[in-house]
Amino acid sequence: MTSRPRVAITGLGAVTGVVSGGADAVARAISGGATADGERIDRTLAELIGPADARRLSRVCQLTLAAARLALADAGLADGGGLGVIVGTELGDLRSTIAFADGYLSRGPGGLSPLLFPNTVMNTMAAATAIAVTAREASLTIDAPTVAGELAVARAAASVAAGRMPAALAGGVDEIDPLVAAVLDEVGGRFVARGEGAAFLVLEPLEAAEARGARVLGEIRGVASGALPAAPHAVGRRTTPRVIEQALARAGAGVESLRAVFTGESGDARRDAWEARVLEAGAPRVPHGPAIARQFGHTSAVGPLKVAAAAATAPALVHGLARGGTHVALVVGAGR
Amino acid sequence: MRRVVVTGLGAVSPFGAGVKAYWTGVAAGTCAIRPISLVETAGFRSQVAAEVPEGVAGSSRRSRADRLALLAAREALDDAGLTAAERADAALIVGAVGGGMLEAEAWHWRRRGRAVTARASAGALRSILPSSHADTLASRLHVLGPRETLVTACSSGAASLAVAADLIADGLVDVALAGGADAITRICYMGFNALKLLDPAPCRPFDRERKGMSIGEGAAFLVLEEAAHARARGAREYAALAGAAMTTDAFHVTAPHPDGDGMARAMRTALARGGVAPAAVGYVNAHGTATLQNDRIEAAALRRVFGEGRVLVSSTKSMIGHTMAAAGSLEALATVLALAHGVVPPTAQHEHTDPDVPFDCVPRVARAVSVDHAISNSFGFGGQNVTLLFRRAG
Amino acid sequence: MEPKEVLDELKGILVSRLKFDPRRVADLTMETPLPKGVDGAVGLDSLDFIELSIAVEERFAIPMDESEDLVPHFASLESLSRFIAERAPSA
Repeated sequence: MTSRPRVAITGLGAVTGVVSGGADAVARAISGGATADGERIDRTLAELIGPADARRLSRVCQLTLAAARLALADAGLADGGGLGVIVGTELGDLRSTIAFADGYLSRGPGGLSPLLFPNTVMNTMAAATAIAVTAREASLTIDAPTVAGELAVARAAASVAAGRMPAALAGGVDEIDPLVAAVLDEVGGRFVARGEGAAFLVLEPLEAAEARGARVLGEIRGVASGALPAAPHAVGRRTTPRVIEQALARAGAGVESLRAVFTGESGDARRDAWEARVLEAGAPRVPHGPAIARQFGHTSAVGPLKVAAAAATAPALVHGLARGGTHVALVVGAGR
Repeated sequence: MRRVVVTGLGAVSPFGAGVKAYWTGVAAGTCAIRPISLVETAGFRSQVAAEVPEGVAGSSRRSRADRLALLAAREALDDAGLTAAERADAALIVGAVGGGMLEAEAWHWRRRGRAVTARASAGALRSILPSSHADTLASRLHVLGPRETLVTACSSGAASLAVAADLIADGLVDVALAGGADAITRICYMGFNALKLLDPAPCRPFDRERKGMSIGEGAAFLVLEEAAHARARGAREYAALAGAAMTTDAFHVTAPHPDGDGMARAMRTALARGGVAPAAVGYVNAHGTATLQNDRIEAAALRRVFGEGRVLVSSTKSMIGHTMAAAGSLEALATVLALAHGVVPPTAQHEHTDPDVPFDCVPRVARAVSVDHAISNSFGFGGQNVTLLFRRAG
Repeated sequence: MEPKEVLDELKGILVSRLKFDPRRVADLTMETPLPKGVDGAVGLDSLDFIELSIAVEERFAIPMDESEDLVPHFASLESLSRFIAERAPSA
């Protein structure tokens, strides 16, 4: 693995209820424990999304694009060039999906909106962003409960390290609206306080970042993913920390070198407890960093925010464990 | 360098359950596109689709798409003959689009006072998300390696294979279970109708008279394995996955780039990664949706990469329709079997090749021809292009 | 329908289905080009036109025949209004 290019984090963009902006603004909001403002996201979108995009892009697509643009600006990169786009999401554009179906239910075939139809597939945010910033390398959307943002960053880091992508926009987005919340309530899914927002990192080979004089916020030193046994939507009983051990081994780091661990603690008591037991086994006595999911509300944007926060307290572990068992760990190193 | 081979196959298709039923139908050039039975069709121009026939086995508490995925994945794992420990370490990469939307629609329709025949419980909503397939498969089949659900519209099934191959090539796993699944949904059916992209009759890819797509449903999973690992345990090797590439048009949310630029780049990059020259490719399993645009632009991209004529081109969608997230994997499976059996599947309903398509489209009847390399193309809505390159085993 | 009524309905469709800002739509003249690619045009792309044709089909009860080249009729609000006036079934 030492022959692999090292993966640098060179930008962060976030559009959330707590803070909208680049790496510095987000760092201040996290250390200051800032709270959510219900209007912030819509204010940010009004500022950052022009009328043509505002007309054609659904709200969750606007969220994604706005955060992606902030990340590119933070990284000092112009649009275009060899960029891949990897978006993690849990719920996708459920709002548009419901609206599309309701068009038919209220008015029959004539009520169907072709403009809405592409939003019924979860790749819509990645597609819209790739088009807007002209990103022509691979674009992917990863759907997962809880840890989609972490998985997206992990997938992007692997692609950049393997030379399959010159650079990547990687992050997560979720929105919530009253109808979607009602649907989730019906399902019994309101385990956690949900927030909404988008956060994206720019990842590129460390050598390329240094060559162009970019600010290096941090480094993705090692990544591992896997699963613990659990029924869908349920927590499991096993606490085998293999994923944590693999991430540390790939990072060439010992657990005693970790200055912090960033967990998915969000108020889902049973899931939080399960994760705590896994961390007891795999990273005992490592202090916990700020609980990003509690501060921002649970969304797929939390994963990349955890990675950015980890870079500031590096070397640090970003840990994710979802109901159903998906398990991911990233070891984040310091910037320059 | 770590090479990737295919050691297990599983499928549920509009020809029925099992790889055997699938390949028999495809090799015979049978069209499985029939009048729709799963969803209401009144008021819509196209009323045919390729549905999986009869009941789909499995617990009625699971979504149809979850059941399709489970059947195909189980067959692939059994076919590969892996030990329990090998399954436990295997990656699980699933392409999905609709997820449990069919059942969620029934729930929503009922709530709005519409009669639906399908059972629809609030519990069905728990399976609505595309990630439900992977969580269900992992739990039932004890596959506990890296897990990702990829959504790239029509190329999701192919993207899952490309990413699984990356995991093996990068040395993260030795074995991966990868593929896609999709059930017919009202939203998909109504949406493609609204976009006027559906043919009222079974689709006719690359034909001068084509009028649009047909939709379909199904699931296919492949077991991918590191070559030395497969050889060491004496596994049967169907074919090698010699290269893969994903590109993005970054052009328009529904229309492909008019020059087929992203398509050509995906093909060239897959070939380059596999170290294979275009002249060494004997067969292209096309995306071939039979829309006016896709077929013309895909043909132009094929011409740019392969030159005119020589390479055989056919579209499996002529027989199974566009199976959405399952398409990339069902069609990869057909490509693998084409190499293994020395039989290139035909394009059904093909009478007159469009003059813009300078290729032998293998009209209606399969061709017995031994091919060394074949590619499978999947070009998704939003310009998400995937090309998979396969090499004959042995 | 009176031409003025048809025009108002079309402007309503641009707002309700194509999501244009009502103020922008109020300023449109009959001659403003609709398709993208012309300076000062409303800037509709292929997907917008599919949405517009479905809306026109629904609102004015005009069946759209796919075999006919409808592009010239959708060039401006003026040409579209004429098309609707010619094809709409009488009230």
